[in-house]
Amino acid sequence: MAEPEVRERVLRLGERVFGPGEFAVMAIVNRTPDSFYDRGATFATDAAYEAIDKAVADGADLVDIGGVKAGYGEPVSEDEELRRTVDFVAGIRQRHPRLIISVDTYRSGVARRVGQAGANLINDTWAGSDPGMAEAAAEVGAGLVCSHVGGLTPRTDPHRMAYDDVVADVIRTTTALAEHAVAAGVRPDSIVIDPTHDFGKNTWQSLELTRRLDELAATGWPVLVAVSNKDFIGETLDLPPGRRGSGTLAALSISAWLGARVFRVHDVPAARQALDLIAVLRGSAEPAGTRRSLA
Amino acid sequence: MPVVAAAVCPHPPLLVPAVASGAAHELDDLRAACLTAIDQLAAADRLVIVGSGPVTGRWYDATAAGSFGPYGAPDVRVGSGDPVLPLSLTMGSWLVEQSKTAALPRTLVTVAVDETPESCLALGRSVAEGPDRIALLVMGDGSARRSEHSPVHLHPRAEIFDTTVAAALDSADTTTLAALDPDLARELQAAGRAPWQVLAVTTGLSGSLLYHAAPYGVGYFVALWTTP
Repeated sequence: MAEPEVRERVLRLGERVFGPGEFAVMAIVNRTPDSFYDRGATFATDAAYEAIDKAVADGADLVDIGGVKAGYGEPVSEDEELRRTVDFVAGIRQRHPRLIISVDTYRSGVARRVGQAGANLINDTWAGSDPGMAEAAAEVGAGLVCSHVGGLTPRTDPHRMAYDDVVADVIRTTTALAEHAVAAGVRPDSIVIDPTHDFGKNTWQSLELTRRLDELAATGWPVLVAVSNKDFIGETLDLPPGRRGSGTLAALSISAWLGARVFRVHDVPAARQALDLIAVLRGSAEPAGTRRSLA
Repeated sequence: MPVVAAAVCPHPPLLVPAVASGAAHELDDLRAACLTAIDQLAAADRLVIVGSGPVTGRWYDATAAGSFGPYGAPDVRVGSGDPVLPLSLTMGSWLVEQSKTAALPRTLVTVAVDETPESCLALGRSVAEGPDRIALLVMGDGSARRSEHSPVHLHPRAEIFDTTVAAALDSADTTTLAALDPDLARELQAAGRAPWQVLAVTTGLSGSLLYHAAPYGVGYFVALWTTP
């Protein structure tokens, strides 16, 4: 592989500034009883706070709080989503004043309330299905994740999604959302784009996006990838959700090499270690110490 | 001459081994049933493949191209030139190419997925016109809401709808096919309703259901209608 050209913009989230070549690890902490990977492990408040503390200790730069399972499941009302997220975000802010807090929601009403409680980033995984999302993020001074779901409505699965060129479709959709967010008043350096693997895509299409991630990075918008334990890895390797860790790291590493900046993961220490090595390989960080054969 | 034989097949991209990769064997029995049915059409004078598309009555000749590129397998193609066929007709051509019916002269025609039953029947009558002994290959799927793991979530009426269709296909019951409710079919995401209603103009055929299952939560049927 040739070393990719590094011409990245600064990414600003909360009080943190990520310079060119600097990777951000986003730890997933779900306030759901039914998400596919953790199956409710952090639904209870104490367990959720412990998960946050552990993620921070393990090297997470930001945490992503979700109050609604992404896939099909029990309906969750906006009131219930607010109950699961708002006080929790406020509690995290109190415990970790400088931690970047992201909230995974498709409702502008939730975005506004968690923003007021201290969230710095709105992870709009359902790609602007709520047309007021960018305005809500702007109103509370939060950044925005602009996603691609191929026109699916929230919490549905893809059926025979077809694209002439899936990468071109992702670039068209996410950059349009990003430009809309700028127009709505979101800080341009707090906007990231996310190809949103698996959502509205079959496995071939998610693999294609991974292979051609450099084309997304070339748009200039910082790219977030959320590949952790997803079905495209499971289908490729014929492995169930609990056994996709190594495949996840491979997809994450290739994405990093090709220019992704933010990495949404379940296993923070593994991602941190892989990304710290890739940062050195790409020339954007120094080794921790190089004594071998040099004494 | 009327329609002398008809085959009914589904059109999931997964039916193509290169699309399904390591999962291809899971649909071996479905693929075999499709080819068994299509092989039986070879004695007609010519073949018309009917499948859902964006509009009704768009005709293509046998060389029209279709590609599985939009589903992630650009190397799997039928015909020549730029791909123009919708999925249903691409799948139909792909199946015919592997069957004993491959040498039969053929044309392809679309029917809009939301076409009215009356217009589906009218298309069927125009397809059946002329002196030739015509075979139909009708591409259509059952409900995509059959189970908890369906692409679209379980609908309580999906199974009874598909069972009704299966019985109609097994007995060449054109009255039942013609009476399928477009609104219910749309709600159940049963893409085959309009193409089956094109088939409902045939007369004097006897039916046999070769396959009915929903291994991924989408109803698949294979049927063969022949002159007794």
